Amino acid sequence: MSAAFEMMKLTFLELWSRWVTVGLFVASSLVWILLSFTLNLDIVEGSLTGVRILGQDAGVPRERVETASGEAVQQFVTLNMFVSQIQSFVAGVAYWAAAFLGLFAAAPLLPGMLSRGQSDLLFSKPVPRLALLGGHLLGVFLVVLTLATYLYGMIWLVMILKTDLVAGRMYGSILVVVVMFMAMYSVVALLSVTTESSALSLIVTYGLIIASVSFLFRDTLELQINRPWRGVYVGLYHVLPNFAETTKIAAGFAGEDPIGSWYPLISTCLFALVMYVAAAWRLSVRDL
Amino acid sequence: MSALLEADALSKTYRTAFRRRDVKALDSFSLSVDTGEIFGLLGPNGAGKTTFVKIVLGLVKPTSGSASIDGTTVSDWRSRRQVGYLPENHRFPDYLTARQMLRHYGRLSAGQSSNRDIDRLLDRVGMLRWADTPIRKFSKGMMQRTGIAHALANNPKLIFLDEPTDGVDPVGRREIRELLTSLRHEGKTIFLNSHILSELELVCSRIAILNRGKLVTEGRLDELLQKQTVYAVTSTRIPEQLLDRLSDVQPAPVRASGRGERPDSELSHYEIHVSSRAHLNVVLDQLRREHVEIESIIRNTDSLEELFVRAVDSDGSSQEGIAR
Repeated sequence: MSAAFEMMKLTFLELWSRWVTVGLFVASSLVWILLSFTLNLDIVEGSLTGVRILGQDAGVPRERVETASGEAVQQFVTLNMFVSQIQSFVAGVAYWAAAFLGLFAAAPLLPGMLSRGQSDLLFSKPVPRLALLGGHLLGVFLVVLTLATYLYGMIWLVMILKTDLVAGRMYGSILVVVVMFMAMYSVVALLSVTTESSALSLIVTYGLIIASVSFLFRDTLELQINRPWRGVYVGLYHVLPNFAETTKIAAGFAGEDPIGSWYPLISTCLFALVMYVAAAWRLSVRDL
Repeated sequence: MSALLEADALSKTYRTAFRRRDVKALDSFSLSVDTGEIFGLLGPNGAGKTTFVKIVLGLVKPTSGSASIDGTTVSDWRSRRQVGYLPENHRFPDYLTARQMLRHYGRLSAGQSSNRDIDRLLDRVGMLRWADTPIRKFSKGMMQRTGIAHALANNPKLIFLDEPTDGVDPVGRREIRELLTSLRHEGKTIFLNSHILSELELVCSRIAILNRGKLVTEGRLDELLQKQTVYAVTSTRIPEQLLDRLSDVQPAPVRASGRGERPDSELSHYEIHVSSRAHLNVVLDQLRREHVEIESIIRNTDSLEELFVRAVDSDGSSQEGIAR
């Protein structure tokens, strides 16, 4: 346990010494400062003021919906709903910002650790290989957790100061970001222990992220694809990680509406689990 | 003395990624290193020395055979609890200072590492005044010294040093030799991999020569060097018929110094290759019986370099198909 903790500290120190943590801090600061400026735009100010003047319950007309009895009812945009929409959008943006920044920062670490000269020093220690890998992963996850907490924390602080409304479920978004980063990093981990190439591991991870965008339109695409390929597409939907679809869950935590489906998160976690088991197995049997 | 490190018929075959060619790095290599000795493993590039050390340290899996340290099989990470290692071409995290590096790696090895222990280690390798300097500012020699301190961080019983004097100046080399000797006096066992044969000759009690993955020769250094002693003899000319009969006596090769037979001199130079003093006297008696007058006899012992070259040459020096 102490070896894993020491490895975690080494990972943290490496990120710190290479100015990566400072870079992440600056980039995250840019994101929330940009957001603050956006919220200060006249159009946003005007909309907020409009909603406030009309009151939080009797808001501006939004849309007409039919009730179960067939009666048409006018829906109103309340201040809560308005802020919730903005928060969901911002949560989605922050999700990708944190994930991409984290991946860029952490991808070269594992191949570096496995490179000749460093692997000899580390893996000749009386510590199981998996403890070293586990400590490294913990270090990386902690950095991303810190980054996500700072990014989301500052965004929510800005939102609270601007709207006087507190979104109670914001912590859920941070958790989703970290879990999704862990899923993305599982691909980096497996490819790094197999090929020692950070470039390849990033290319494949970004490839999976891009592929996952197509799963956002699953309902439409499934109908458009011919039968033999439809099965393949549906199979891929269940097997590959659903990074893009999970954005809805991260955004959902920031909003008021209940989370629609947890499936993308669960299937992505299972994918990550398989990747980490494969990476751990590969590391335990390979020559260094 | 009990064996601290034992290897039994270790073999390792690497398979190249694309051409699917098998490369045999170690071939049924057996070895035993006793507690308290300084053992040197020699071999040309690609002989399999590093592969052997990596197998023993659990970095590489053997294709067949087994090895153990202090009775624990090397596939078990616990076998490395009493082991220190300085790899060749090591790359310490250069953002750490020497003190930070020793603290972190010491904790990975031993679970704890106090400032006093670290200072003592750095002092021992002459690096105490650089304790708080980032490693990236170190010269190659300073890096080696810090590396040796790292190998001693967990107070190991068995220390593997791969080219420990690489990049170190002559004064530093002597200090490292003295350190190795003092470690042996403390009861540590040291396993050295080095190309600098003169260095090994000065510190090793036992050596093994590895070539193309196979053990060529092994034994106590003094015994190996005396196995074949050469005596340089200056005498009156030995008749051809007698030289043909005495296979141990050969004309000395003509060297830059001008040694060897000179047509204008009544004296000639010969080499007598014998394994013992008694054998030498038998040969000398035969020469005297044939009225050969002896002017001088000088005893020349092989250097480790000559022993190494002869051992590798006799094994076939072609390095084709040899692994890392």
